[in-house]
Amino acid sequence: MTDTTQQPISIDGPIRLLGIETSCDETAASVVESGRKIISNIVASQVDIHAQYGGIYPEVASRQHIITIYPIVEQALQDAHITLDDVDGIAVTRGPGLSGSLVVGLNTAKGLALANQLPIIGINHLEAHIYSAWLDHPERRTEDDPKFPLLALIVSGGHTELALMTDHLEYQRLGGTLDDAAGEAFDKIARLLGLDYPGGPAIQQAAIEGNERAFSFPRAWLENTWDFSFSGLKTAVLREVRRLEETNLPLPINDIAASFQAAVVDVLVNKTLFAAREFKAKDILVAGGVSANQLLRTRFEENDEFTVHIPPLVLCTDNAAMISGAGYYRFIAGQRDELDIDALPNWPLSEI
Amino acid sequence: MPILDQNSIEFISRGTDYTRRVGIRLGTILKDGDVICLEGDLGSGKTTLVQGMAAGWGSLDRVTSPTFVLMNLYRRLDGGQFHHLDAYRLDNVGEARDLDLETYIETGPLVIEWAERIKSVLPADHLWVTLRIVDIEQRDLIFSARGSYYKSLLENFRARIYGGL
Repeated sequence: MTDTTQQPISIDGPIRLLGIETSCDETAASVVESGRKIISNIVASQVDIHAQYGGIYPEVASRQHIITIYPIVEQALQDAHITLDDVDGIAVTRGPGLSGSLVVGLNTAKGLALANQLPIIGINHLEAHIYSAWLDHPERRTEDDPKFPLLALIVSGGHTELALMTDHLEYQRLGGTLDDAAGEAFDKIARLLGLDYPGGPAIQQAAIEGNERAFSFPRAWLENTWDFSFSGLKTAVLREVRRLEETNLPLPINDIAASFQAAVVDVLVNKTLFAAREFKAKDILVAGGVSANQLLRTRFEENDEFTVHIPPLVLCTDNAAMISGAGYYRFIAGQRDELDIDALPNWPLSEI
Repeated sequence: MPILDQNSIEFISRGTDYTRRVGIRLGTILKDGDVICLEGDLGSGKTTLVQGMAAGWGSLDRVTSPTFVLMNLYRRLDGGQFHHLDAYRLDNVGEARDLDLETYIETGPLVIEWAERIKSVLPADHLWVTLRIVDIEQRDLIFSARGSYYKSLLENFRARIYGGL
C-alpha cells in the first residue's frame, strides 16, 4: 500500500483538490481551492437519460458514469488550466449512494491517485452537501460564512436529514425521514399528477398557478422527535386525487401541486426553525436538491431569527465542488485514506 | 385479486402499527437468499411492512423508502445484510436483467417493492405479497408462496401469527 501521508504538501499556498462525485445520477468533477474557491465545476447530468425511465436506473447509471467520468475529469482540469501535478489531493464520494455508481468514481480516483502519487480522501455525500454552503459565490464574504453551532437541513431526492454541527466536521444527527425523502415525495406526487420527472421543478411550476389553501393536506409534525414523515401526506394526496377522478371533472393539478408543496415546506421550515431555537444554533444551513425549491428558500429567508445559508441553485443539486469543499476540511484535519477504501452505500451522517 | 388457497394467507391490517407488526413476524424467519416481492399502490403500506421485516430480522439501520436511490442496504450486528430494492421507476424492463439480482440474493434477504414491474427477471420461487387499500386506515395483505421452500416459509409464518409453533 502506498504511504500517501509522506507526500510533501505546500501548506502556505492554497490547497487545491480535485473532487469526484458519482453517487447517483450525476457524473461530476471539480477543482476547488481551499474549500472555497471554485476553479472549475463540471456536471454531466443523466437526467435526460433517466427521464425516459421515469427515474434513475442503476445499470444505466453506472455504465454512463464509466463512459463520462474520464472526459469529465479531463475537462475539470482543463477548465482550471492545470494538470494533476498542480493538485494536492483527490476527494471522492464514498457514500451513501448506489454501490455500482460509487465504485466508478472511487476506482477513477484511486487510479489517478496511484499514477500521480496523490493522497485520496473519501467523502460522505451528505457532509459534502453541507460544505456547499462554504463554497464562494460572488456576493459572499468570509465573515458571512456559516457560524457554529449550526443547524443543518439536508433535503434531496434520497435524503431528509436534520443535524447539529458544533464545529467543522462535528455532527450530531438529530433526525431524518422515517419513510419517504422530501424530494421523493415531490417525484411521486408529480408522477401521480402526470407531471414530468424530476418532480421538484414540475410541482413548483404547476404550483405557481395554484392555490395552496385549496386542499388541507396533513402535516406530520412528529412532536418530541426531530424526524420527518412524508408518507401520510403522499397517501392523503393520492386519496384526494382518486376521489376527484371519480367526479370526472378535470383534475385541479395546480391547486393540488400548490397545496402539497405548501405542506412539505411548512414541515421542513418549521421543524428546522424549532430545532435551531431548541439547540441555540447561531445559523441555519439548508442544502441538497430540494433546497432549490423557491417556496422553501423564500420561507426560510423570511424568518427574522436566524441567518439562513442556502447554496446558489447550481450547488444545490449533486456536484463535485462540494466534494472538494468537504475534502479540504478533511485534508487539513489530516485525513488521508488508503487506496483500498470501499464504497459505503449505507453511510449515515451519524457514522462519519 | 389472487385466489386464496392453502399457499396463501390473508390479513386485514387496521393501521400502520399492525402492518409493521406483521412485518416483524415475517422478518424474524427471513434468511439469506429469501426473496420477498411486494405489490401494491402508492400508500398501501409496502415500506411500512419492510420496516417491520427489517426490524424482525435485526437491522441496526433505519428503513426508509429506496425509491430514489433504488436500493437500500441494512446491516445487522453479525455482519448480515438485508437488501431493499424499489422498482417503482423501472417502467422499461428491457434492461432489468442487468440488475444482477443474484448477487443481492446470495448475500441476504432481498425485498422488492413494485416487484410486478420487473416480473420477468424475478426468480420463479418467492413469497409474493399483495397490499390493497381498503379504506383510510385498513389494508388488505395477501401473502402467497411460490415454490416448496416458500410454502414451508409461509407455514412457519402462519404458525408465528396464529400460534401452533
